[in-house]
Amino acid sequence: MVDIGLTVFNGLAWGMATFLVAAGLTLIFGILHILNFAHGGFFMIGAYVAYSVMLAFGGTMPLWLYLVAAIAAGIAVGGMGWGVDKLILRRLRHVEDAYSLIATYALLLVCVGAVQLVWGLNYLSVMPPPALNSVVFLGDMFMPTYTIFIIACGILAFIGLEIFISHTEMGRLIRVVAADPWMAKLLGLNVRRIYLVTVVFSFALAGLAGGLLMANQSLSPELGGIFLLQAFGVVIVGGMGSIRGAFIAAILLGMIESFGTYFVPQYPGIFFLVALAVILLIKPEGIMGKEQTA
Amino acid sequence: MIDYRRRMRANLAIAVIGLVLFAVFPLVANSGLVFLAGLVAVNIVFGLSWNLLFSGVGLLSFGHAMFFAGGAYAMAVVSLRLPDLPFAGGLLLGAMTGGIIALVFGYIALRRASGVYFAVLTLAFSELVHIVITKTTFLGRNDGLVGIPRPVINLGVASIDLTSALAYYYFIIVAMAVVAFALWSFQNSPAGRLIQAIRQDPVRTAFLGTDVRSWQLTAFVLSGTIAAFCGAVMVPFAQIASPEIAYWTVSTEPILFTLLGGAGHFWGPAVGAILFGAIDYATRALYGLSEITVGMLLLGVVLLMPGGLLGFLLSRRTAARRLTGSGKRVPMANAEKAT
Repeated sequence: MVDIGLTVFNGLAWGMATFLVAAGLTLIFGILHILNFAHGGFFMIGAYVAYSVMLAFGGTMPLWLYLVAAIAAGIAVGGMGWGVDKLILRRLRHVEDAYSLIATYALLLVCVGAVQLVWGLNYLSVMPPPALNSVVFLGDMFMPTYTIFIIACGILAFIGLEIFISHTEMGRLIRVVAADPWMAKLLGLNVRRIYLVTVVFSFALAGLAGGLLMANQSLSPELGGIFLLQAFGVVIVGGMGSIRGAFIAAILLGMIESFGTYFVPQYPGIFFLVALAVILLIKPEGIMGKEQTA
Repeated sequence: MIDYRRRMRANLAIAVIGLVLFAVFPLVANSGLVFLAGLVAVNIVFGLSWNLLFSGVGLLSFGHAMFFAGGAYAMAVVSLRLPDLPFAGGLLLGAMTGGIIALVFGYIALRRASGVYFAVLTLAFSELVHIVITKTTFLGRNDGLVGIPRPVINLGVASIDLTSALAYYYFIIVAMAVVAFALWSFQNSPAGRLIQAIRQDPVRTAFLGTDVRSWQLTAFVLSGTIAAFCGAVMVPFAQIASPEIAYWTVSTEPILFTLLGGAGHFWGPAVGAILFGAIDYATRALYGLSEITVGMLLLGVVLLMPGGLLGFLLSRRTAARRLTGSGKRVPMANAEKAT
């Protein structure tokens, strides 16, 4: 029983950490139809920015400072998103899918290079704030508080995004443009501005995720790539730009990965990939997606 | 037909001139640079194999590292465990490994996926291969397989000693020139033409009675086989097969070569691979500079000159000819075919 509980807990942790990264990715995928490789790079920059903010305050920090650092990272990376949309993404709208995918990969390379230049190649490690650096026992099951914190962040992010997309003016406009940009333009909406807002918002989410997750792993210039493939999987299994789909997919894939690793511990990481391939073959449009012609 | 012969001679000449340039390189460069040049030669064909898919059948593969690593590891295992097997046998097994991987994964991936989905599926498969390599003791886990010997080829009457790095370098460049020209010949054969028709208009090609899926799979297997051959040739040169060659950044290398050089031209990936090698060497002193330079260049190519470097230069030449009115008037379309 304890084992199953712990496996579910680990699956949730995997899923929510990945969802935090995938949330911004799925927004851009849904509205711009670009699978943004650079998202991993800006996630990584977010983690490094938060790290630098923390260092500026002396290293060990209370929980509120950890959150402030993460929000600062979100704002900084959101600002970068503004520049990236003006300079690059705007120009990719009429470019073939394959080329825009490669362009965002080029941007990821620039991010990786910039991180190496600014912060160096060494691994940097961050301890969770003292308030999150303990363990909670539930019967015989022990759960690190930091992991519980990440799961809570993931669920809060999902609820916040759902409210934003379904119940606010801007969220509705974003959905309108995602559904039919041409018609939205005819109706007099400033489509360009809505694209810009989406991109900035998506990048800010990447930065925030970087800040929140930085204590989970050592920071290195490879960090961008590590989460990227998982987030890709979640976005695609979830269906074109569906936040709800991504959330369900994150939990589903997290559980598959966690239970797979429990039963076959020799090959961690493999079950997520196998599940991704199988799901894509059975239902290429994703669990919440509509049938596509592409 | 006459046109074909002329173009064949021109492209054979390009392959031979490239071979000669690579052959005289060790006379002017030190052994470190020669080692890099050998890797560039392998990368050229690696890039060409990727572009066979991209510009050939219009498939974007983000997983070519799995073929390269498949060939490399097959070669490494054969050299270490079966030292009596002739060198050619190892190369053949290596290439076949890539072909088999491509057949299995291609059969699955091509059933439903296209475009971005195909790219992500190949990325996932490639990562699968990477994880399997790092977790399998037989394949050396994270340490890789080391101490791979360079061969002595026994021809009965005489034997060719390739145990020195320089001798093996010459073997590499000859092998790569032969494969590159063979690939050109394939792309300009009736089958190659058919594959190009699939990229331009899959629906119409299917309507004409072509089994589009099986031709795509054929191209995928061929591309995987050649990429694996590159891996198999590279391993005795570097004398190590490490899991990094299965990592997804390796999959993106042929994409960089092709796009930088120009996807619309057969020799585009070759130009890109040489350029990439030069950038990597020139920026080696400062970590990160190489990534920034290549990333910026690639962005510039996609946004400003989608034809890549070669496309840009060739279109400039054509434009200049048109302006001055001198020389033969070559329309754009013909100029592209001529390469």
